Amino acid sequence: MRRVLAPVFGLLLLAGVGYAIYDSMNGQLALKSQVTVTGLIGSEKEAFFADPRVQKALQRHGLQVKVEKAGSRQIATAFDLQKYDFAFPAGQPAADKILQGVGKRPTHVPFFTPMVIASWKPIAAILETNNVVRQRDGIYYWFDLDRYFEWTQQETRWKDLKDSAAYPVNKSVLIRSTDVRKSNSAAMYLALMSYIANGQRVIASREEMEAALPRLIPLFLRQGYTEYSSEGPLENYLSMGMGSSPLVMIYESQFIHEALKTPSGIREDMVLLYPEPGLFTRHVLVGLSESGARLGQVLSDDPELLQLATEHGFRTTDATAFKAQAERRNLAVPAQLVQIIDPPSYEILESMIQTIEHKMQ
Amino acid sequence: MKIQPIVILLIAATLGWTLYNANRDGRQDDTQALHVLAGSELKDIEPLLPQLEKETGVRLKLDYTGTLDGAEQIAQAGPQGGARYPLAWFSHAKYLELLESARGRIVAREKIGLSPVIIGVRQSLAQRWGWDRTPPSWSDLAARAASGELRYAMTNPTSSNTGFSALIALIAALSSDPENFTLSEAQQGTVKDFFKGQRLTAGSSGWLAEAYVRDQDRLDGLINYESILLQMNRSGQLREPLTLIYPREGVVTADYPLLLLDAGKRAEYDKVIAWLRRPEIQERLMRETDRRPILPSVALEPRFTARSLIELPFPGQRSVVDRILTAYLDEQRIPAHAYFVIDLSGSMRGEGIAALKTALLNLMGGDTSLTGQFARFRAREELSFVPFRDRVEPPVEMTIGSGADTETSLKQARDFAQGLDPTGGTAIYSALTEAYARIQQAQGQQPDHYYSIVLMTDGMNTAGIDLDQFIAYYRGLPEATRAVKIFPILFGEADTVAMQKLAEMTGGKVFDGNKNLAAAFKAIRGYQ
Repeated sequence: MRRVLAPVFGLLLLAGVGYAIYDSMNGQLALKSQVTVTGLIGSEKEAFFADPRVQKALQRHGLQVKVEKAGSRQIATAFDLQKYDFAFPAGQPAADKILQGVGKRPTHVPFFTPMVIASWKPIAAILETNNVVRQRDGIYYWFDLDRYFEWTQQETRWKDLKDSAAYPVNKSVLIRSTDVRKSNSAAMYLALMSYIANGQRVIASREEMEAALPRLIPLFLRQGYTEYSSEGPLENYLSMGMGSSPLVMIYESQFIHEALKTPSGIREDMVLLYPEPGLFTRHVLVGLSESGARLGQVLSDDPELLQLATEHGFRTTDATAFKAQAERRNLAVPAQLVQIIDPPSYEILESMIQTIEHKMQ
Repeated sequence: MKIQPIVILLIAATLGWTLYNANRDGRQDDTQALHVLAGSELKDIEPLLPQLEKETGVRLKLDYTGTLDGAEQIAQAGPQGGARYPLAWFSHAKYLELLESARGRIVAREKIGLSPVIIGVRQSLAQRWGWDRTPPSWSDLAARAASGELRYAMTNPTSSNTGFSALIALIAALSSDPENFTLSEAQQGTVKDFFKGQRLTAGSSGWLAEAYVRDQDRLDGLINYESILLQMNRSGQLREPLTLIYPREGVVTADYPLLLLDAGKRAEYDKVIAWLRRPEIQERLMRETDRRPILPSVALEPRFTARSLIELPFPGQRSVVDRILTAYLDEQRIPAHAYFVIDLSGSMRGEGIAALKTALLNLMGGDTSLTGQFARFRAREELSFVPFRDRVEPPVEMTIGSGADTETSLKQARDFAQGLDPTGGTAIYSALTEAYARIQQAQGQQPDHYYSIVLMTDGMNTAGIDLDQFIAYYRGLPEATRAVKIFPILFGEADTVAMQKLAEMTGGKVFDGNKNLAAAFKAIRGYQ
């Protein structure tokens, strides 16, 4: 018996040791060809990078991407960027702010998305009666920023609007945004409203800016407490409803992404309002290391990743894919936006934000 | 030489064990507990934590504190303080975010659930007033409170989030300009009317709910989280169920953000967040802790009858919050009348009297921290110090003046505290008797004050009447005087059993002052 057992144990031992070695090598071998790329992103792109399909597609390019999210405007100021391979904020101004700090680096704009106002059918109906919103093609709602701006200057309240029985609330008619000090979507809202306050022209000088600011500051101060990143207001909109968030400035991509989820938080009575004029947020990837820059290239070129970006609600260079998806999934989003303005220069926008920040202390 | 199979087996086993352990080492870090500075209202999350650990490998250990206290701890910790509390979890972080120094310390935040701060009113009253069919406005509540028909419990807004949220909601609801939280003279009056109904206060929402159960026969409702009110109605402890009232103008909702303070714990934090936001966990949180899910795809259970709540504005500037809290303390709440029954017996000499003086001086303007400023004696407040040795010393009474006079009053109070000089025996119960006799008299003259007793002693009763004689005396007092609670502070050789007995009998709460007497005095301020 002993004679039989000894070799059996010997074999077992060999097999055990062998397996242990194999097991520990195996993980390392698979990782060897992969580069880990770590970056800071605006929260609106978190779901995209967390998508296993995106991760797989990136791995095929040898990229293992790790992300941390932050307010887009905070990325430039609140982090030690030397520790990261890339920064991927929302908005050209936020990217410019980063570039000012780190010097010239390669940038890529793999996708973009328009600013929209998430709202509710009963609210849209009240606004339609009061000539701020109108429907086009039966589905799209266009939001007249000019008239809205007038209301904000008069501190118009919901209960004072014509036929507002569905929302008889003593709160001011105010679009909720994020914290303008920290997040890009609020900065884009400011960019839009500064265009209106400046008589439908992009603010181009300090004089124009100073003339417009007193009327712009209340848009932010009167909101009271604001969330630091763009998912906060959307989360409130989705889970707390119309009573908390009648009008919220968000990225179109956030809404589409939620609408395409199963199960989805988007319900029958939720609608998107498109501000007129409109403004695009460009998602700018700043390569801080070589591998980070390569990620930017891959995201802009790889057809599969572009398709996945579309499925996450972003618009890319492939406009047909976006249109096809909207038709297929019955989304009330316009394929094309006509009246699009540019944000003011980085310096102007930054200086407006600083003035507002000062007032918020 | 022939190798024995048993030897081979041993080698194999040893090797295997070593390899197994080597693999485990990587995971060892994950299983060390992560300390979370948490609001006491999150205690009901604890039953979920073992499953969290099992499924994510992250063990959370919650250390409880008040909302403002916690905000202060985080603000004071400084950039290197992250290691002490890598995570924090409160019913909301709005105030915290308004503190410049604390805001910078928050690396990430994610909301976990929702619960509006509302008022539960006895069913029969809600029905009589038609509030079960049409929700009242905040001014309707104020009118019922002013007429004495609505006597409610609400926590102190400077120490607990439910009182804080209710106060913010009330001001926003009454203001004609809710975004600026400004009030006209008439609206100020309505705020004061509202607080005439506040007959019970506390430093924490959980304790308030317990105290309501105890005092339910002399109260008509309480302000708390929807989640706590739902749990109270299920508990079987209420003689009459509470109708949940969502005032018409709107409410302020707690959103329970889990905060990351130490960027080094990012991986663990992400795991915990992902787990807490799983649909099945969100459903469990709704089922077991009565919080509304933050995940929009999880459907609200039918027992959450108010589906869409109006959310009132919340201030975006600390100065606005401070203005609201100061006005509450100095102008709007019913004035407090606190009796400090303090031991000046010989045993207090040395460290004891030094600690007592520090504790009192802190409340007299010495503590300039954020919470200290709110906890100090406030304008309009009446103070009665009842010192005792072998017998009761002549009590010292003072009123804190308003406006510029506040500082003059505080100075007088400090002079008094500085002069305390211990000697002699310990007549605890004679002193308490004196305090209640004086309260009974004061209630006749000022029925609209909020009375409380703090008892601080470091030893056994050695003179005057004994505990049983005091109990007999207490039982003979009129109901309104019996309702005044004793908050005993454990210190030195104090009789723990007797202190507990006093707290239980009067509905008060024992505070431990042995580690930090000043902190105990400060915490009791939430209950005054």
